[in-house]
Amino acid sequence: MSNADNWFERDPLWFKTSVFYEIHMRAFFDGNDDGSGDFRGLTDKLDYLQWLGVDCIWLLPFYPSPLRDGGYDIADFFGINPDYGTVDDFKHFVDQAHQRGMRVIADLVMNHTSADHPWFQASRTEPTGPYGDWYVWGEDDTRWSEARIIFLDTEPSNWTWDPIRGQYYWHRFFSHQPDLNYDNPEVQEQMLNVLRFWLDLGLDGFRLDAVPYLYERDGTNGENLPETHAFLRRVRAEVDARYKDRILLAEANQWPADVVAYLGDGDECHMAFHFPVMPRMFMAMRREDALPLVEILEQTPPIPDGTQWGLFLRNHDELTLEMVTDEERDYMYEEYAKDPRMKLNLGIRRRLASLLDNGRDEIQLMHAILFSLPGSPVLYYGDEIGMGDNIFLGDRDGVRTPMQWTGDRNGGFSRADFQQLYLPPLMDPVYGFQAVNVEAQLRQPNSLLRWLHRLIALRKDHPVFGLGTYEALRPENPRIFAHVRNYEDDTVLCVHNLARSAQAVELDLSRWEGFIPEEMFGRTRFPRIGELPYLLTLAPRGFFWFQLRKDEGE
Amino acid sequence: MTDERALIDFVTSQRWFGSKTREVTHASVVDSAVLRDSDPRLEVQLVETRFDTGTHETYQLVTNGGFDALGDPRQVRELVHLMRSGAKLPAADGVVEFDAVHGDVQAGELREARVVTAEQSNTSIVFDDELILKVFRRLEAGINPELELLRFLTERGFANIAQLAGWYSYAGKQMTATLGILQRFVVGGEDGWARALDAVASGDDAFVDSLRGLGEVTGRMHSILGSDPSDPNFCPEATSTESLGLLTATVDEEIENIFKDLPEDVPELEPIRGRGEEVRERLRLLTNLGGAGRVIRHHGDFHLGQTLWSQDDWVILDFEGEPARSLPERRRKRSPLRDVAGMLRSFAYAASAAELLRGADVPPGWETRARDEFLAGYRATVEQSLVPSGAAMDKLLKVFELEKAVYELRYELNNRPDWVGIPVAGIVRMLEEEVPV
Repeated sequence: MSNADNWFERDPLWFKTSVFYEIHMRAFFDGNDDGSGDFRGLTDKLDYLQWLGVDCIWLLPFYPSPLRDGGYDIADFFGINPDYGTVDDFKHFVDQAHQRGMRVIADLVMNHTSADHPWFQASRTEPTGPYGDWYVWGEDDTRWSEARIIFLDTEPSNWTWDPIRGQYYWHRFFSHQPDLNYDNPEVQEQMLNVLRFWLDLGLDGFRLDAVPYLYERDGTNGENLPETHAFLRRVRAEVDARYKDRILLAEANQWPADVVAYLGDGDECHMAFHFPVMPRMFMAMRREDALPLVEILEQTPPIPDGTQWGLFLRNHDELTLEMVTDEERDYMYEEYAKDPRMKLNLGIRRRLASLLDNGRDEIQLMHAILFSLPGSPVLYYGDEIGMGDNIFLGDRDGVRTPMQWTGDRNGGFSRADFQQLYLPPLMDPVYGFQAVNVEAQLRQPNSLLRWLHRLIALRKDHPVFGLGTYEALRPENPRIFAHVRNYEDDTVLCVHNLARSAQAVELDLSRWEGFIPEEMFGRTRFPRIGELPYLLTLAPRGFFWFQLRKDEGE
Repeated sequence: MTDERALIDFVTSQRWFGSKTREVTHASVVDSAVLRDSDPRLEVQLVETRFDTGTHETYQLVTNGGFDALGDPRQVRELVHLMRSGAKLPAADGVVEFDAVHGDVQAGELREARVVTAEQSNTSIVFDDELILKVFRRLEAGINPELELLRFLTERGFANIAQLAGWYSYAGKQMTATLGILQRFVVGGEDGWARALDAVASGDDAFVDSLRGLGEVTGRMHSILGSDPSDPNFCPEATSTESLGLLTATVDEEIENIFKDLPEDVPELEPIRGRGEEVRERLRLLTNLGGAGRVIRHHGDFHLGQTLWSQDDWVILDFEGEPARSLPERRRKRSPLRDVAGMLRSFAYAASAAELLRGADVPPGWETRARDEFLAGYRATVEQSLVPSGAAMDKLLKVFELEKAVYELRYELNNRPDWVGIPVAGIVRMLEEEVPV
């Protein structure tokens, strides 16, 4: 019964109106008291996610792995990391999620494997054997020098010498993650088998990790190559032919014009993350200026029908600053990474709440903007309660600490001994589990968690946020980010004050003359829109969402 | 078949149409199956109604050229015949499947058929006082909880229900959904709600005395529903750490929402107008409790109107859950005390209704005695591990009573404005009561 068909109405565009929630399995809930989160624990917490209003859970990699890159170093594509449970636990989890009206997608790394993967071990020891050509081998380390190094802090080159095979192997990420050779048709076929395996178990789709780098070609930077797109079209065709209502979500940390290519003509991925919009939200907030946000949305090309942007404030990686200019990056570091420990590669390894100095108004405003933009919001576990980070933990572990459920031992995450935990929970006075946890926030009607729950419920009542058109209003006051969304008969006006001070703004709403703006949270009716510019005053970091209603009084 | 406007007008004017306060902008038949080709032709249709915001709901019509053949119930005998034969009929984009519980659908010819007039959100037809067919109107993807619970209880020999006899369902491109169920008809059953009103009006004690039996039946029903650890859909579960918090948050939000929306022009609302914060404060006091027992599948919409008194025993009806909640919500395991609270609210409701509708003088202490009898019966039969003990049980019960009253308030405001005073009186009473310690 783990088939979603039994529990969902057919809806090929479900992902366009969905709220996504990203979960690091190890960090969510420990169901067997061994100090590490697992599928049983996650299943126990489905009621919480259902209550929150999550439509789709995105799981970080749960496959067997030496865990040198948070599980993105996969050592077996057809299994479950024993720390997380079994394939049966996975099936039970997916079924329980479906029964609660939630779908599940999972990370899949197609570009590379762990160096521990049997395919790579076979490839390095038996160059003429069946796996000899499954990875990208070279006699020297100078080819494709135009390809940038992504993990600047740890990797000197994209080539690493393998003393066993006596050749260099190609890797766009860590040296313990050799790239698969997609010029080999067997590799392509096997990756399709991987997709089918999990889709047959009921999975609703994949977030395709590091998708731009599948192929290498001379004279190119090895990103976004036509061959990569051709393979994605093949993947999509396979999925569409055999399954319904499943999705592919591309992780391509690129400029919008390049990312759009991953949506193809509606024949590649269903969704792609919009990376550049995110740093600009932080920039707009800090500069009290809507321009960076308005501009990046203007530069975002239209996307095919039936596709969608994935939008997020923070995720499990560093806040990436690859898709900003050098000056913008300097500005972001200056403002958001005052301690050099906060930087990682080209990014900032902090959580949402700590980036915003734990300002409640700021956190809410950022969520309001996120939820109002054309796309589907992706929340990162723990951000709904305003969890912080631990910059003294290595790499990206600082934003992957245990979920804080209660003020009890280990933050209610695990009943194991503290020493057994995969990472220590936060215990500082501001963000520690005694101050920030689900139990307390459920009980406080005005908590961030309860507020976000209402925001999610509101968004679900209005498909316009996922399906509607987007039109920026350009008021004279640059501190105001205002836009109109429309879908069928639903027109929504969103006005956000980026400033730390109260602001007044005049909006040209003459097209809606005679309409009544109804504030969407309190359902308060505002004065009728007339011929003159519409005047609004907003509290510091405040926002209004209005439904524009026809005045039926006349 | 007919133009869209006519379809919208028909659907929105039906009693079973659930979203009367919303504006329907489109309606269309998204799939249909022919049940009988010869004259009079009979069809099942799935109709999608779209609202101005772009969301939609799906409803079932059974038609014979017009919009509704169920109005002519003799037509509907065909549905029972199809269950008997286990038919599988193709729809344009799916299949309609009919099933019968083995040996339980009588083979003889059905003669009479009449529509049950009291039905709110669905349409029920009684055949020859033998069988009763419920045609679900609003369709949602998934197994209907009523079919699920009736099968479970029927298979385990729980006698105090109308036994399941058959069902039919749709599986297709649009969704998989239960379309209708057939049950044995309980002959000569007397509606529990009507009995209660009569009893209040006449001052007859026999009814209150019989409530101990209803409590016992309810306790047994819960014990059975929580008795099978091997069935993942039914196995009782320990309440998680945050389940009480989730409950509190959910009820709190319902209170907040309803108080935010109170219409200005309903004078019956005066006693509670502006008291939303007080109600929420009361909820916070009540949710300071220890253990919350266990969560199980339960009735979900339990009140006197869902009971029949027949041959000196109680029969429990209608396992669909509250029609305004989504299907995943209605299938959720929750504390069985939610049902108990529903019934306790129903006693308060009956007393108020007898007063409001029949001008009856409620005998002093009537509601208290009704509650005591019912609870005594319930405590005697319910599996103890399912419910919390001592004051925690009393408090949790009150939480669910409050939740129920808030739900009733919304329901009455949307459907029966004349009845608004009843949940209002209930909420006021709860504000005045002591918090159990």
